[in-house]
Amino acid sequence: MKKRTKQITPSGEPWVWLTALGLSVGILMVASILGLIMYRGLEVFWPERAPLWSIRSGDDTLGTELVLGPEVLKQNKSAAHGPDAGTEIQIFQGNRESLGQAFRFISSSDIKAKTLPPEVIWIERMEYGKALGIPIALRLKDGTEIPFGAQNFLPNLDIKVTEAHERWEQIEDLEKNKIGKINREIKSIERKLKNLQGNETQQDNIASLVEKKSGLETQYEALANKARELRTLQDNPTLIYRLANGEQRELAVGQVVEYYFPNQLGFFDRLGMFWRHIGSFIVEAPREANTEGGVFPAIFGTLVMTVLMSLAVVPFGVLGAIYLSEYAKSGLALRLVRIAVNNLAGVPSIVFGVFGLGFFVYMVGGSIDSLFFSDRLPTPTFGTGGIFWASLTLALLTVPVVIVSTEEALASVPRGAREGALALGASKWQSIRRVILPAAAPGVLTGAILAMARGAGEVAPLMLVGVVKLAPSLPLDTTFPFVHLDRKFMHLGFHIFDLAFQSPDSEAAIPMVFATTLLLIALILVLNLGAILLRERLRKKYATGNF
Amino acid sequence: MYRMSSKQSEKVYSTSKRVVRQDRMMRQIIRIGGMGIIISVLGIFVFILSQVLPLFFKAEVQRVASFHQNPGALGAIGLDEWGEIPFMATANGRIAFFRSNAPSQAPEWVAPFETNNDWKFYRYLPDSQRLLYGNALGQARWIQLKFSPNFDQDQRKINFDWVMSPIFDLQKTATDPEAEEEAETGTGANPTLLDLALGGQEDGILLAALVQMGDQTQVHILPLLQEETMMGSGDLKPGNPEIISDPFPSKPRKLQVNESGNAILVALDSGEIQYFISKNHTWTKQQSFVPFQGLPNPSVASMDLLLGGASVYLTHSGGKNVVFSLLIPHGETERRWVQVKSFPDLPGAAEKFAKSLRNRAFLVTSGPHAALNYGTTEAIRWEEDFSGPLLGAALSKKYHRLALFEAPDALHLYDLIDPHPEGGWKAFFGKIWYEGAPGPEYTWQSSGGSDAFEPKLSLIPLIVGTLKGTLYAMLFAVPISLLAAVYTSQFLDPNLKKVIKPIMEIMASLPSVILGFLAALWLAPRIENAVPSLILVILVLPPTILAFGALWQKLPQTLKTKLKPGREWLLLLPMLCLFSWLAWEAGPILEKWVFTVPDPQTGGVIADFRLWWTAKTGSAFEQRNSLVVGLIMGFAVIPIVFTLAEDSLAAVPNSLRSAALALGASRWQTAFKVILPAATAGIFSAIIIGFGRAVGETMIVLMATGNTPILDFDIFSGMRTLSANLAVELPEAPFHSTLYRALFLGSLVLFLMTFGVNSIAEMMRQRIRKKFKAL
Repeated sequence: MKKRTKQITPSGEPWVWLTALGLSVGILMVASILGLIMYRGLEVFWPERAPLWSIRSGDDTLGTELVLGPEVLKQNKSAAHGPDAGTEIQIFQGNRESLGQAFRFISSSDIKAKTLPPEVIWIERMEYGKALGIPIALRLKDGTEIPFGAQNFLPNLDIKVTEAHERWEQIEDLEKNKIGKINREIKSIERKLKNLQGNETQQDNIASLVEKKSGLETQYEALANKARELRTLQDNPTLIYRLANGEQRELAVGQVVEYYFPNQLGFFDRLGMFWRHIGSFIVEAPREANTEGGVFPAIFGTLVMTVLMSLAVVPFGVLGAIYLSEYAKSGLALRLVRIAVNNLAGVPSIVFGVFGLGFFVYMVGGSIDSLFFSDRLPTPTFGTGGIFWASLTLALLTVPVVIVSTEEALASVPRGAREGALALGASKWQSIRRVILPAAAPGVLTGAILAMARGAGEVAPLMLVGVVKLAPSLPLDTTFPFVHLDRKFMHLGFHIFDLAFQSPDSEAAIPMVFATTLLLIALILVLNLGAILLRERLRKKYATGNF
Repeated sequence: MYRMSSKQSEKVYSTSKRVVRQDRMMRQIIRIGGMGIIISVLGIFVFILSQVLPLFFKAEVQRVASFHQNPGALGAIGLDEWGEIPFMATANGRIAFFRSNAPSQAPEWVAPFETNNDWKFYRYLPDSQRLLYGNALGQARWIQLKFSPNFDQDQRKINFDWVMSPIFDLQKTATDPEAEEEAETGTGANPTLLDLALGGQEDGILLAALVQMGDQTQVHILPLLQEETMMGSGDLKPGNPEIISDPFPSKPRKLQVNESGNAILVALDSGEIQYFISKNHTWTKQQSFVPFQGLPNPSVASMDLLLGGASVYLTHSGGKNVVFSLLIPHGETERRWVQVKSFPDLPGAAEKFAKSLRNRAFLVTSGPHAALNYGTTEAIRWEEDFSGPLLGAALSKKYHRLALFEAPDALHLYDLIDPHPEGGWKAFFGKIWYEGAPGPEYTWQSSGGSDAFEPKLSLIPLIVGTLKGTLYAMLFAVPISLLAAVYTSQFLDPNLKKVIKPIMEIMASLPSVILGFLAALWLAPRIENAVPSLILVILVLPPTILAFGALWQKLPQTLKTKLKPGREWLLLLPMLCLFSWLAWEAGPILEKWVFTVPDPQTGGVIADFRLWWTAKTGSAFEQRNSLVVGLIMGFAVIPIVFTLAEDSLAAVPNSLRSAALALGASRWQTAFKVILPAATAGIFSAIIIGFGRAVGETMIVLMATGNTPILDFDIFSGMRTLSANLAVELPEAPFHSTLYRALFLGSLVLFLMTFGVNSIAEMMRQRIRKKFKAL
């Protein structure tokens, strides 16, 4: 005992430090994962310099090989590869179609020199990813060539690329909108014809439909021809360039999405290009099995699905919560129901997906098909996954979140306000509508936002009820009936899964995965932070609400 | 003075009718809507259960029609593919066809044999629809039945037809002088066909017979080859007859040929079964075994092959009935027959047998008793006792109808409703000895290459995989989150707490698809080469920090006061980075020092953890392993456990804390000895809820493991969890198939696991709340 009293330092202090370690690790984990995603996600848009590496080639110690491209990764060679450990760097060399692989490992010890030739051009192509090389000339349609050094090379290239882009827009408008519209009309006429088949009294009708159909078909042909003509125009002029290994390539300007000279760019040029890249990532559609281009359909699909989900979940969730906290008789049954609803939030999301598939898609969707769309069977309309079923499934998944947070908000409305309203002669519904609900609105909103954040990030259930890697059309567009609830859709989360695991060249897809990840995280963090801030405000507002 | 009339006052103070009406209406709407939403939410469980239950139903058998016709001596009964034309074949070669839609109508009799020249009925082969006959000259022939649907004004009518095969002589051919000689030098007595069997497919058929010559019985075979002509397949051409066995020591009773026509089983009176197989066109006796050894009179009463021919169903006259299968036992190299299953005793020997051509089910009769058994699960799908003995049994090809002949004259036709014969408790949770496997096992393998493939739907490997992933996640997450929770609730500067909790909550909102992608494509390749570094980080960090804490106390007070209590973790952040980095870099040194394996080529040693692990433990090292899953799943579990544990620690009444501190306890003593014990239940419930989250996690395990359903807990191997299994297989599973329902069962298990675990946690939390209220 005496010894204890002499002790100056309080006992157990080191253990306090150990618990502090737990928190530090936690904070570090959050920081590092967000940092990693931020860095790798933004890096994708930053125009890299493209150095020219001269390296020792193969067995011949005197031979030199040239490789062009930015460094992607530096790593220690694995010990399993043998005794010659050292570092090796991974270079992105692009030109997949002629070099075979877009990435290449070189050993640091083999590098002889590294230069930054200013004439290197970086071309983003419609197919085969990126090309890196040194331009030689622009070959016009009539065969004349404008050499790279010439004064009018760059202005000409610029004009030709812009022209080609405009032509692509025309082609897309023709093929997607105009031809698509005619196609739909033809299909609907065909369905009508099928229904009328064998019906003697409708001969006139049939004849007029057939006539209409053939008229549409000629229109279709004309438009298709026009599109074909435009497409052939895209083959000229061509850009001739040389790869690092000396191989000469020719590329139609119509294939160029974007080009720039990475080693000539100043900091602000690069910054401008960085923002432009981010912009086109958000507004463009994906190309090349999703590994290039943008993610617009996925963003759009995610948003539409989340909005549909909220439309379903918020009213019903609030209704359920009002019933539980204001109308239901308290007792054991209510307590059990409350526990059950609480626990439902902990049921794995995939289970909801299973339910959605079995109940919504097969049972309800199958019945809708056989009742209303029997003319399209056996091709299912609602009897297969689609945005409507996905939204409903996620609504079920998130309804406990809304119920719980709404109940909390309702409970936190001061008793005084409630009693005051009743004392003034308001009916129960009047007091709920005019006093309690407005006071609880921020809490309800918090719940709704949390539900949206959860719904936007869920992927597992969607995989069962209608998400696809590439949807031909958006769930919301300008053709009647504007909202296409039966359509399949793309989703940012599934886009990540698909890119990382189902793309043919997963290494080339990794930058896109990081960029998409960053976008999804940004979306979810904004929603979550909004909810957290709202909650804090709500707590403050009603902290001293007992009067 | 103005006085309000009572009527007026009533009007002024009473609520307007509109308001009352509205209130009443809203009450109804809210009640209906609220109850509706709650019921529909709870309906998830009911719906999933309704999809699962049919897996556990027994077969349903309903009588369609009964036909009364006395055939005299009955040979066999059979059914067409549609189950609409039951027929009976008499022992003397006549056939009667009935129509199920006209049960009272007299049967149509056919007599394919012009004259009754001693053709005797031997057996009916339902897979090829042949009725097999033999005679006393050692000859065999069959009647090929043909059924075809005919549509007449949307009405389907099944037509039947029959074709007579040529007569095949099992004993000799004209071109074989040796056989001729043998026949001449024989006893001259006519041979007796004890049993006749047929096997084989389109390209070739094998006829086999037990032929008794005098007192010697041997197996005679005759291969029949399908002639290929320009027009397609032509006639069957008999090959050379052969005698493939030595004379049997005791009288043979039964003979069976398998479906490919390359194996023969013969059951002898002594109880022995001899197994012959053909390899490169030579027949050898491969094995002989006595299935009912030890029983009085061990002779085999019936012997029938199940679908696929690799299993044989044997019964004893005492009623014992078992299945033997061909398999390579552990430690052996040759396939042989081994007893794998037994069924509940029958009243006596099995008399009639009909196998399903769709699955491993078979119908068996013994006296008046009929039973429909399922071979794989040893389950009786249906059984019934009749009043008269049953003399015939048949199953339709589609496994949707069955027929039984009850003596003396009744042919009963039944609908068989059994969509999931392979189901049952044992199929999903029990050990099953699958055909060809060396022993009973738990296996999940839902699809396979061949037709004879049998789906194996044990949920046990998936449940084990789920628990494995969860276990490693919890091992990583629980210590960190609890330490962090204790620190945050007890020691952390209260001003910082407002920032810390949302930061940790952000971690909870990270979508699991992102975590999964990082685990698989970012973390897994890095961990693969750096396991020693990771081990070092985990081993080094806690002692270092403890030592640092102890050192800190020794610092002069003036320096110590520079750091406010509750901000230690800020100082730790850079230290943590520094020590982790040091330990990480030191990893390869540890690897060179400890984890080395000899190099067979150079004789030196290779420092490689992966090789070392495989050499030491014998288990594989996969890149996407449980360690990666555990680490990344930590991101999903840590924030949940942290938040809940922190809440429960903070909820401990402040009076306890004040009292402890007032009595002179240090802040650690207060936290460890007073607060922690009070919050145990809350912390435990936090861990349970974290467990529930890890159990249901789908995307991380789907992406970061190889998704192989295996039954081990090795840290460097993968797994397949229930949730990932659903994501992988459900999109491909046909609606309402057994696989579909089995996957629903998997999701039900998942539901119950998480729901049950969460309910426990919830109840614990409510009890603490009550306890603390009392304080």
